Amino acid sequence: MGQITRRKFISLSGSALGILALAACGSGSGGTSGTSGTSGGNAGGTGGAATARATQSAGPAAQAGQKQVTFWSSWGGKNGEALTKLVTDFNAAQKEVFIDNQYQGTYDETAQKLAAAIAARQVPDMVSLSEVTWNKFSINKTLQPLDDLLKKSSVDPTDYVESLIAEGTRQGKIWWVPFARSTPLFYYNRTLFKEAGLPDRAPKTWDELRTWGLELQKLNKPDLKAYAFTNAKNFNAWHFQGNVWQWGGNYSDKNLEIKIDQPPAVAAGEWLRKFVHEDKLGYMAPDQSLDFSNGLCAMTQQSTGSLGSILATAKFDIGTGMLPEQQKFGCPTGGAGLALLAAAPDDRKQAAIEFIKFLNKPENVAFWSKQTGYMPATKSAREAPEMQQQFTANPNYKVAVDQLPKTQPQDTARLFVPNGDQTIGTGLERILVNNESTETVFKAVAEQLKRDAQDVKDQVKDLGLS
Amino acid sequence: MVALRKRGAAPTDVRRVRRDHLLFLAFIAPNFLLLGVFSYWPLLYQAYLSLTRWDMISPTKTFVGLNNYRFMFSEPGFHRVLLNTGYFTGAVLVGSLLLGLALAMLLDQRLHGRNIVRGIVFAPFVLSGAAVALVWAYIFDPVYGLMRVVLGWFGVGSPDWLVSTTWAMPAVIIVYLWKNAGYSAIIYLAGLQNIPTELYDAAKVDGATGWQRFRHITLPQLSPTTFFIAVTTIIFSIQAFDIIAVMTEGGPVNATTTLIWYLYQQGFRAFRAGLAAAAGMVLFILMLVITLIQVFIVQRRVHYS
Repeated sequence: MGQITRRKFISLSGSALGILALAACGSGSGGTSGTSGTSGGNAGGTGGAATARATQSAGPAAQAGQKQVTFWSSWGGKNGEALTKLVTDFNAAQKEVFIDNQYQGTYDETAQKLAAAIAARQVPDMVSLSEVTWNKFSINKTLQPLDDLLKKSSVDPTDYVESLIAEGTRQGKIWWVPFARSTPLFYYNRTLFKEAGLPDRAPKTWDELRTWGLELQKLNKPDLKAYAFTNAKNFNAWHFQGNVWQWGGNYSDKNLEIKIDQPPAVAAGEWLRKFVHEDKLGYMAPDQSLDFSNGLCAMTQQSTGSLGSILATAKFDIGTGMLPEQQKFGCPTGGAGLALLAAAPDDRKQAAIEFIKFLNKPENVAFWSKQTGYMPATKSAREAPEMQQQFTANPNYKVAVDQLPKTQPQDTARLFVPNGDQTIGTGLERILVNNESTETVFKAVAEQLKRDAQDVKDQVKDLGLS
Repeated sequence: MVALRKRGAAPTDVRRVRRDHLLFLAFIAPNFLLLGVFSYWPLLYQAYLSLTRWDMISPTKTFVGLNNYRFMFSEPGFHRVLLNTGYFTGAVLVGSLLLGLALAMLLDQRLHGRNIVRGIVFAPFVLSGAAVALVWAYIFDPVYGLMRVVLGWFGVGSPDWLVSTTWAMPAVIIVYLWKNAGYSAIIYLAGLQNIPTELYDAAKVDGATGWQRFRHITLPQLSPTTFFIAVTTIIFSIQAFDIIAVMTEGGPVNATTTLIWYLYQQGFRAFRAGLAAAAGMVLFILMLVITLIQVFIVQRRVHYS
């Protein structure tokens, strides 16, 4: 090693510093690498490093002169493949618009990244948001009203199933259009039902389900339980929303007054507790799809969006049905819709609508629905031959669609209260796992919801939910 | 670390002193700048955020004083969060030290294929936490999991690990230990190999038994190593996030909600930046206090040769 003089050392450390600073900036923008794609656009006028980073998405890049739309989506696996196919087809079918579909993780992760992107003023143009997460962005007025844009591209909003488009309409404007909408669906193992001598249909009421559970218990299979509930991580508060309605109760009302500690909701919870801890017929599964497909439970409730993968993995005959009733029927909607960011450039908003128009073509709605199990969100698609064919070939798909008109949007406590979903879900875990009295648990849950609701109460009142 | 040689500055040699100062600056500047940008500034900003109410989307942050701290400490589940953090960190600390030392003693033997075994022991440490957690979630499955088989050999039934409020935390701790024991083992191994063999030879001549040699030579000679591992383990484990996020998401019934998961939940699920920042400050103060205790009390008893 030669001797390092002072000058040499200082100039060396100076350049080292420069490199470090560069690296630091690099990692800084790395965090929002997805977003830098938006600033890249078709002009490609941004800094070299940023654009280089932005082209991480697979597939061909935008051609010169095309309008590039950055689309943040939340589907991986089988559903992700279906979406990729639709995007690729759209990009190949026309030359004006290029959709850059960027997978962002789960609904929650997508929302987290979007919040960060808004803070950094580098938003995508179009984003998929769940029935819970879109509210956060709606009450903060960051979304774009879509009516005029839809009209300009002659997309007919009345073609959407009423209950679904109504959910995305507020203050007389459309903000969020249905795309991957789902509802809970009742699943049962037909092979086991046959073995236990039960009728080949879903139980009509929870009481009937309980009697059938006792029959299934007589099969004497050590690892088999009649029914699987799920945990907070896997959205048990979404599934239990149906139960609360079925027992004539609510989580809350339109003005965010909390009602989960009132007798009907408590009765629904108590029924669950007895079913699990006294009858020993039910249990809490971390992933009820997995347990059901492996024959660990004879019945469960899971999203229609899981229908495709459950049918693909289970090695027995599967039956589906509408949710059981108690005093009445009740079934929430769920899943995701598409929204545009108000801060996105106008020409790209219109370009994004062109893609929505493409997605709404009956054959594409049918394809998406067939691949994933999500509801066909438009009326025209339901009548399309592809869909009709699917209904005959696999009646399980038809059940979900038949149930759709009877569904309703969830109560405000789960949709708007910060962490409302997890607060209710953790309460349910206390009932399902710890066998705590529902009254005690729901009283505590109500207190927490009331306190947390203060954060958003005024904003929700502003929306004027009807 | 390179220690700068201390030079007695002669009064006539002012230039030399100045040059030393410049050299000193040149040495610390890159580090200081990075720490400033990526540690101290975020810390100050976090302290500021913890005094505000902000949902991370709206352009305005409302100043609320100490309300976030008041809210947090009055929250019914928050003492449980602190207890969980202590439970997890404590168990991981004790486990890492014992397991690490035991593994290191084994790996120190003259055995065939020792280097390969050393590699295998260290390997989990460099694996991605998310992947490790996913695999272990299957191992812990009460019906199909490997753990059920292993426990079955001893005639013990498998608990429903990730669904039970009693067993979820031990499950997470086991995974964390499995992943990180290799790290303390390797550090301990280096420590063991630094102990001069003359000490053992002398002890043998004096008739010390194996246990006595371990108790009076190995352990005291390893105390700087133990100290180092203890400090780093506490700092790492108190921030452990990936395994909890993938395996339990803090559940069931918040049984595995540690301070860092609470912070994540408030910040990125509920979008309460102020509350999350307040939790972050609590975490920071906690770590600061632990480190200070370690420096002032434990270090005095640590034996540096």
